[in-house]
Amino acid sequence: MENRLVIDKYSEQYYPPTPTNTTLFWRRFIPFQLIRFMILNWKIIRIVAKGHS
Amino acid sequence: MARIVVLGAGVAGHTAASYLQRYLTKEHQVTVISPSSIYQWIPSNIWVGVGRMTADEIKFDLKPLYKKWGVEFLQAKAQRFYPEGDAEINSGYVEVSFTTPDRSGQTQKVPYDFLINATGPKLNFEATEGLHPGEGNIASVCTFSHATEAWELFKEKLEKMQNGQKQTFVIGTGHPTATCQGAAFEYILNVDFEIKRRGLQDLAEVVWITNEYELGDFGMGGAFIKKGGFISNTKLFAESYFVERNIKWIKRAGVKKIDAQKIYYENLDGEYLEQAYDFAMLIPGFAGHGFQAFDKQGTDISAKLFAPNGLMKVDADYTPRPFEEWSVADWPQTYQNPSYPNIFAPGIAFAPPHSISKPMTNKNGTAIYATAPRTGMPSGVMGKVTAENIVNWIKTGNPEIKHKASMGKMGAACIVSAGYGMSKGTAATMTVSPVVPDWDKFPEWGRDINTTMGEPGLAGHWLKWLMHYMFLYKAKGKPFWWMIPE
Ligand SMILES: Cc1cc2nc3c(=O)[nH]c(=O)nc-3n(C[C@H](O)[C@H](O)[C@H](O)COP(=O)(O)OP(=O)(O)OC[C@H]3O[C@@H](n4cnc5c(N)ncnc54)[C@H](O)[C@@H]3O)c2cc1C
Repeated sequence: MENRLVIDKYSEQYYPPTPTNTTLFWRRFIPFQLIRFMILNWKIIRIVAKGHS
Repeated sequence: MARIVVLGAGVAGHTAASYLQRYLTKEHQVTVISPSSIYQWIPSNIWVGVGRMTADEIKFDLKPLYKKWGVEFLQAKAQRFYPEGDAEINSGYVEVSFTTPDRSGQTQKVPYDFLINATGPKLNFEATEGLHPGEGNIASVCTFSHATEAWELFKEKLEKMQNGQKQTFVIGTGHPTATCQGAAFEYILNVDFEIKRRGLQDLAEVVWITNEYELGDFGMGGAFIKKGGFISNTKLFAESYFVERNIKWIKRAGVKKIDAQKIYYENLDGEYLEQAYDFAMLIPGFAGHGFQAFDKQGTDISAKLFAPNGLMKVDADYTPRPFEEWSVADWPQTYQNPSYPNIFAPGIAFAPPHSISKPMTNKNGTAIYATAPRTGMPSGVMGKVTAENIVNWIKTGNPEIKHKASMGKMGAACIVSAGYGMSKGTAATMTVSPVVPDWDKFPEWGRDINTTMGEPGLAGHWLKWLMHYMFLYKAKGKPFWWMIPE
């Protein structure tokens, strides 16, 4: 689905990092994402709890 | 008996009303006034705008819930504020104008002991010439009805591409000082996702246009995030997202005008440029609603209650200072009006002391920068602390304000959807803490680097999806709704 791009040299698009196929794999790999889901929930709850006095 | 009037039934107003009815006994009267009885979960509009949810899935009618709770509901819009009352009414009151067809145009004076102004922003489309959502190829996702129209237009463009016609999609900010970049950012990623899901990417050019100095500014001056063994930033994060998807970008752009074919903008270098489009979704500028206020003698005191942008003055420090001298202490904590302590303005309705991002002006004198965002989570928290402070005041008779929630202290979580789907979807989970950087407390990175993060992945989509149902459950006042945080 990802259409790999041809980036013009010295354009703005030339500089940012692009994810490797391995990174893209981990972003979609369900067992790993389930763990991340729990960790992210925990991180958000901590932020919410600290939010107001 | 105390009369508490809440103006607006959005995130801040509905949250405040929910806690007021929960904490107060029935002898007190809570009244909610809003031009529509529909509550909408605005963050899911981006999914309505790409046809992945219907408007019915993101909204519900508040009237039956308020009836159950014993909360009076007036379908009307506030117009004038009389914080001292007048010769006839001895307490503060608001003059409202009804919006239902049977009472259209009728006005009523609604007296109060406490007033919560949670009217959010006026979507100031008029400030940009030609920016009329629903007309031609211009869309918006700011409300559920706009988002429904956006989907109809997007569908038309998808069909054109299926018939082999190339299309240019331009999404971003539609005013030189617009805010809410996050919403547009989510929408462009979802539009791109839907185009690719149909294999139409070769026929689409997707372009981001923004008033941000750098991508990832999001109106909060960007953020540093810990990632992959580096302290990185949201600029790289946002740019990486676009490069991965082949989305082009135009930054430092102040959109001034849009016609049927082109978007006209000025950039920070002072150049006047154009961008052709076939589909445009541009976030308008935000402003106050143009309310007027009068004292007991009928003298106009609007400037006492409202800042020049029309938003309400609260306990912020509005002293004009250069960017270098800005501090978190400038930001309000109680959302209480300094002149009338029984008036509060949580959510987008309060006038921020200044932007968070550095203001920039080009050689033509045009200010081009992102103004301060007030996202859902802080708006909900502000609504809750406002309710808690009023309840405390009523119960103790003591006007001491105990509960505080400053954007310079509280964090915010924002799930940036980049495509809908339980196995193929993706979103970036972004948290910043605090929202307004505190360079005294966090001299290195402005924020707590351990809790400020951005993480793309499928888990983010699950979170965003879960939050949709969770926050609607809470807003509907279902059992134990109050256990769900803002
Ligand atoms: C497309 C989109 C996506 C977004 N996504 C996210 C997200 O993912 N996460 C996030 O945290 N935030 C998101 N936001 C921001 C979030 O929606 C706002 O922060 C939040 O709605 C602000 O709450 P509020 O109560 O101040 O204003 P609103 O929710 O706008 O509520 C204002 C209320 O006041 C009423 N009103 C208006 N005029 C009057 C009047 N004259 N008298 C009485 N009532 C009046 C309105 O009808 C409405 O009920 C998004 C915004 C948009 C537009």
